[in-house]
Amino acid sequence: MPPQADTAAAAGRTATASSPRPSKPARTRAQKRSRRAAADRRFGLYLALPALVVVLGLIAWPAIQTLIYSLQRVALNGDTRWVGFRNFELLFKNPDFIHSLWLTAVYAIAFLVVSTGLGLAFALLLNEQFRGRFLARTLLIVPWACPWVIAGIIWKWFADGDVGALNGALYQLGVIDEYKAWLSSDTGALIISVLAAAWRQASFAALLFLAGLQTIPHELPEAAKVDGATAWQRFRLITLPWLKPVIVVVIVINVIFGFMQFDVIYALTQGGPGNATEVLSIFLYQQLFVYTNVGMGSAVAVVLGVVALLIGLLFVKLLYRSGDVTEGVS
Amino acid sequence: MHEDRDAGAPERGGDEEGLKVSRASLLRGAMAAGVALPAMGLLAACGSSDDEGSTGTSGGSGGSGEAYAGALAMTAWEAYPDQIRANLAAFSKQYGNRVDLTLIPNIGYGPALQTRLQGGQEIDAYYNFAYNSTKFVDAGWAKELNDLPGVEEMLDDMFETSAARHKLPDGRIVSVPYFSAVHLPMYNAAQLRRAGFARPAQSLSEIYDQCEKLKADGVRAPYAAYWTKQFSEEYFILYLVAEGIVPFDEEGNPTFQDDAKTEGVLDWWTSMYQDGLTARSILTDDPGKHVAAMAQGTSTYFTLHHYFLKEIRNARGPASSDVVLDYRIPGENGQSLQIGEVVQLGAAAEGGRADAAWELLKFYGWKDKDGRYGTFVSWAESAALLGPYPGLFQDPQFRRAFPDYYDLGQLERAFEASQVVPARVLPWYSSFQTKVGDRIQAMLLGQASVKDTISSLADDAKNFAAAG
Repeated sequence: MPPQADTAAAAGRTATASSPRPSKPARTRAQKRSRRAAADRRFGLYLALPALVVVLGLIAWPAIQTLIYSLQRVALNGDTRWVGFRNFELLFKNPDFIHSLWLTAVYAIAFLVVSTGLGLAFALLLNEQFRGRFLARTLLIVPWACPWVIAGIIWKWFADGDVGALNGALYQLGVIDEYKAWLSSDTGALIISVLAAAWRQASFAALLFLAGLQTIPHELPEAAKVDGATAWQRFRLITLPWLKPVIVVVIVINVIFGFMQFDVIYALTQGGPGNATEVLSIFLYQQLFVYTNVGMGSAVAVVLGVVALLIGLLFVKLLYRSGDVTEGVS
Repeated sequence: MHEDRDAGAPERGGDEEGLKVSRASLLRGAMAAGVALPAMGLLAACGSSDDEGSTGTSGGSGGSGEAYAGALAMTAWEAYPDQIRANLAAFSKQYGNRVDLTLIPNIGYGPALQTRLQGGQEIDAYYNFAYNSTKFVDAGWAKELNDLPGVEEMLDDMFETSAARHKLPDGRIVSVPYFSAVHLPMYNAAQLRRAGFARPAQSLSEIYDQCEKLKADGVRAPYAAYWTKQFSEEYFILYLVAEGIVPFDEEGNPTFQDDAKTEGVLDWWTSMYQDGLTARSILTDDPGKHVAAMAQGTSTYFTLHHYFLKEIRNARGPASSDVVLDYRIPGENGQSLQIGEVVQLGAAAEGGRADAAWELLKFYGWKDKDGRYGTFVSWAESAALLGPYPGLFQDPQFRRAFPDYYDLGQLERAFEASQVVPARVLPWYSSFQTKVGDRIQAMLLGQASVKDTISSLADDAKNFAAAG
């Protein structure tokens, strides 16, 4: 209940307590305050209206349009014909789509694990006191400042089979005995495309985790330490529960980015070699812009959106389940 | 507490009255601004329209033949942007129409253009990939050019083979040339000499043998080519054409699968990759990396468009000056594949504006008002690009634009003898193109046999053609 409404109700209660029926001035004041509260709400709505219109125009309407297109056969000249669920039927009979769907799941899970894990590791490291921490924290933002496509291009050179720094480093460390063309093998291309995208996303996750870590009262881990808790116990029983709300946010964002990833993969491999990294977003791009099959492309977009939404919600549900996320904070 | 609040109530009430007024004022102000700003924009637009209108007839209302002196809209990808601007300025000077240029980055140009056209943006002239040109006409995003003044003369002025890129087998004319090029092998003559070879390879098996020797002599990746997913189709067709295989019949049906030599081509391709005669990373390497490899001397052969020789020389690597062109593609008949992108006429303009846009296309894709191949000369000077006109090769300025490491006579003969493969502009072809990349790369990685790849590719082409 808004504070104004509380005040109005309190005023009403005061009047009721002093006489069986509210006096006229008291009733008038309460009504006045109620009107003001309503006016405030209306005012808030008016202020939010432009943003609401923009959101509806830029997100809701295209989403609805995509849903409509997915049920139609759309000619490039704009002619449309309703085909019901035919596009979805064809889609699920298409082995390339099934391959892409499976690949997307693998990619998204790997991306989620690596980017969340790396992000948490970076944040834990940067939460400690050491010389150069400020510089390290500043550098953390650099990957996040790179557009996705630039991250892809950087990693293409980094993983290059002839002159890549990755090969150089592994060779010098004795891990490999000759340079490898990582992007020319199915598994190598998939791993590099996960790492490239996770490298960028991990810095964003780390920023969120770091913000969460800095809200942990010093007394908690210190007291636990005095009580004999090991570092792992402190992390498991204090840090992780405290970070639960942040973890939920990071996971949901990472699930979405994992499922929707396009730029990095396209810059690295264009979905290749063969169709080894042809995730749903690349498949969708081909349907829309190469095969110019708007209906089918929209159906892929709907499937992709629904899958990302369901998995995101699943994580929210799982993490909110026992004990509630806010428990950690309180 | 309550008393305190009540005591203060009138004052607050007064404040709130004030606030009420300011809220209302704010909302009224915002509404007024909301109405005023677009109106001001509208007025401004009217003003600019008037300005333009004062010098000519509006495109929408004028009938064909009425002069249009307003601005034209052109969209291009970001290749040599300054030269594009200079060319458009030259057009404005000759014809009086200003051209508003929109540049889109090369990566993602196709989808961006498609989205804009589908969204109803009015573009009078735009660059397009040849393989998309028919599709765009079918979609109603580009106009057919038949019956426009001078179009037949333009086609008559072209090399006979080149015209097939612009005029479909059904007679529709869909585009004008933006630039042309021809695939040719570039090779490091010094490395070949040192390896004991008197001349560059003339057949696929000879390339293999030479590369094997070069590799043994220490050349890291003797054969370089742009074998990425997107580009595999162009090489596929190039190697077929050089072997004298007819890839598609006149109706666009695939015929490559019926020629036994196709298997030989793909066998050679697979051996080159799997036996390590190319860079292992070749499936994702872009031309820039191959140019560097040639300039550094880590590759001996590089097959791609003729103009890449200029880039290799300009790179000024230790081996740059040793790299020269062979004017024959290794293969049974040695013919090359001619490529080129196009300019299309937007579908929205009518009347005088459409006439002006057509003048722009002729200027850009053929000759200027003085009868010179001005735009093509500028591309030759910028990037050693060609145009599909025999007359262009006689233009002294065009000839001067080519550095002396190009033998222009041989280049002209190679260009004239090269093929266009008309099926490559059919509406379904871009879909086939994507599939070729998938299948060829899977074959190179040993995931599919050569025979299966050929039959799958033929099936793909038939299916895409059937689906339109």
